[in-house]
Amino acid sequence: MKLRICHLYGNLLNTYGDNGNLLMLQYVARQLGHEVETTIVSLKDPFVAADYDLLFVGGGQDHEQMVIAKDLPSKRDELVKFIEDGGAGLAICGGYQLLGQYYETADGEKIDGLGALPHYTLRQIDNRFIGDIEIRNERLGETFKGFENHNGRTFLGDGEEPLGRVVEGFGNNGEDGTEGAIYKNIFCSYFHGPLLVRNRHLAKLIIETAVKQAEN
Amino acid sequence: MNIRAALATVAGKSSKLLLEKTRSGGSSMPGKVAMKIDPSILATLSADYRVIIVTGTNGKTMTTSMITKIFEEKYGQVLTNPTGANMLQGIVSCFLGAPRKKLGGTRFAILEVDEATLKYVTRYIKPEAVVFTNLFRDQMDRYGEIYTTYRLMCEGVAQAPEATVIANGDLPIFSSVALENPFVYFGFDHEEDREQQAHYNTDGILCPKCDNILHYKLLTYSNLGKFYCPYCDFKRPALAHAVTAIHSLSPESSSFAIDGVDFSLPIAGMYNIYNALAAYSVAKHFGISDQYIKRGFEASKRIFGRQEHIHIGDKDVVMNLIKNPVGYNQIVAMLATDPEPFSVVAILNDRHADGTDVSWIWDGDFEQLVQITKGRPFFLSGIRVAELSTRFEVAGLGDDEKIINQDLSAIAEWIKEAPTRKVYILATYTATLDLRRTFAEQGYIKEGMAI
Repeated sequence: MKLRICHLYGNLLNTYGDNGNLLMLQYVARQLGHEVETTIVSLKDPFVAADYDLLFVGGGQDHEQMVIAKDLPSKRDELVKFIEDGGAGLAICGGYQLLGQYYETADGEKIDGLGALPHYTLRQIDNRFIGDIEIRNERLGETFKGFENHNGRTFLGDGEEPLGRVVEGFGNNGEDGTEGAIYKNIFCSYFHGPLLVRNRHLAKLIIETAVKQAEN
Repeated sequence: MNIRAALATVAGKSSKLLLEKTRSGGSSMPGKVAMKIDPSILATLSADYRVIIVTGTNGKTMTTSMITKIFEEKYGQVLTNPTGANMLQGIVSCFLGAPRKKLGGTRFAILEVDEATLKYVTRYIKPEAVVFTNLFRDQMDRYGEIYTTYRLMCEGVAQAPEATVIANGDLPIFSSVALENPFVYFGFDHEEDREQQAHYNTDGILCPKCDNILHYKLLTYSNLGKFYCPYCDFKRPALAHAVTAIHSLSPESSSFAIDGVDFSLPIAGMYNIYNALAAYSVAKHFGISDQYIKRGFEASKRIFGRQEHIHIGDKDVVMNLIKNPVGYNQIVAMLATDPEPFSVVAILNDRHADGTDVSWIWDGDFEQLVQITKGRPFFLSGIRVAELSTRFEVAGLGDDEKIINQDLSAIAEWIKEAPTRKVYILATYTATLDLRRTFAEQGYIKEGMAI
C-alpha cells in the first residue's frame, strides 16, 4: 500500500538526529513493500486526519516548541480524531511532551500541550537526565535501547502504559521506573540516538500497526 | 606592566620554553600558568595590538587564516593563534609566544575565538572588529541551542561596544538583536530572485520578530540567503559587501566576484567563498585594497584535515574533516562538483574532540553522497562504524558496496586497489589524527607534514 506519513512540524521539530526516525520509518516501510509519501504539516497548515496513515513528531528547541504550542489548538480536533480513531504514530522528546496536557520549560514557564494524551511534564532545576538507557516491555516482549537527554519529568495518566520499564537509566521521571508512553496506537519516548535506528523492530511494529489500521 | 603582570609573563614564557624543550604537548599550558598568577594578564599582553576576532560555528579557522594572509601581504608579520587554541588559555599562550615587538609600526592580532569564550576574552581585550561567520546547529553535547549560543556571542561584543561587528547578513539570527555595536553585513547576491524555503531539516528558520517561517528569494545553503518574512517586515539587512557572481566551482578552487571584482581562491567549497567574503569585508573595513586581498586569497592554503592531498601508490587521496551536518553537507556539495569518478573512505569517531554524540549523521545528506558515487564501494571505519554503516544502509548503499573494517592500517592497501584514481577520505577530528599517524608509520606522509 501507499503509506502516507505526516511529519508534524517537521521543519521545526527536528533536533539531534530525529530525522533518523523518519528515514528509518521510510526505509523499513519500503523494505516491507510499501510505497511511502511524506508530507510536512507545519505552522498555519491544516491537518486532516483522513489524509494520513502515520504521524511522526520529533523534538525541538525550546523556542520552536513554544511557537508550536500556540499553533496546536488550530489542529486539535483533527489530531485528536486521528489519535482516538487508532491512528499509528511516534512522538519523540519535545513532540511527546507537546501531545500531553502541559509541560514546564527549563525556566519554569507552564506551556499547554495538545491535550490529546493524558500525561504531563514538570521540569527539573539545573539537572538533566543524560545517559544510556535500556527498557523492557513484557506485553510486547521487546527490549529497547537508546540514549536519553532531557530536563522534563513526565508522569503518565489514565489509559497510558509506558513504552517500557527501565532496566538501566532514568526514564520518564527518574521515580516510577517508566519510560515513554503508549496511548492507543501512539508510541512516545525520550530516546535519542535516534530511537528507531537502534530499535528497528519498533519501526516495524509502528508500520505494521499503521498498515493494519489502514486496511480496517 | 606591573610586577604581577611581569611575573605572570615570565612564568608563562618559561613554561612555554620548557614545553618546547620537553615536547610534552599542550599549547594552552603557558596561558594557564600565566593566568594563575595574573588573571587579567590578557589585557597587559594585548595592549599594544590592534585586535580582530573571528567567531562562529563553522569557518573560524579558515576565515582567520585568510584575514591573516591578507594582513601579512599589507603589513608583514601579524599575530594569530594556531587552530584549535581558541579558548582563553590558548589565546593567552598565543600572546606569550609573540616575537618581541619592534619599535613603532602597527601590530595586528587576528584571533579565532570560540563562541562561548568570546565574552571572557572581551573582558580584557577591546577588539576593533569582531567577525560573526555563522551559527549552525552543533552537536548535542556542545553549547545547546542556537539562541543560547547567540546570546553568548552578543554578551561578548556588548562588552566591547566600540567594536564593529562584521557579520554574515545571510543568517537571520545575526540581525535579530539590537546592539550598541556598529554592524557591517556581508552576503550573497549572485542570482536572480526566486521564491523558495529552506530544507525542512534546517535550524533557525523562524522569523525573530513574529515567529512565522521565513521564506527566501535566494538560498545558498542551510538557512543562509536573502530571507524575508511573509508576515512582517523582517528581511535580510542591507549588505555592505556581496558576492555578485560565481564563475566556477571545482574540488580544487573557486572563482567568483565580490562587489563586482573578480577573485579566485585555491580552495573549494561555497562555504569557503563565505569565509573569503568575510575576510574581504574585514580587509575593506581596514581600508586594504583589492591587490592585497587577491594576493592574500592566492596565498591561502588548505589547513589541517581540510582538502589535504596525499599520494598513495598512483592514487590521489583528499582528506576532509567532518564534524556537523552543515559542514558535512557542504563537503558533499563540493564532491558533487568533481567531474572525475571517486571512491570514499568514511571514518566516524566519538571521542571528546569529535563530539561524543554521533546522531548528527542522521541530519547529514548521506543519500546525495551515495547517489553521486554511483555504486562504487565505500570503506567504513572508526569507533562508531556500526552507526555509520546503518546510516549508509538507509541512504541506499548495498551490503556488497561497503567494506567495514576497524583497522586503519588496511586503508592504504584498499585505496591502492580502489577502482578510481581519486579517493576522498571523510573523517572526524580524532579519526583524522589517527589516520595521519597510520599513514606516517606506513611512510605515505611525513609526520607533522602539511598541517
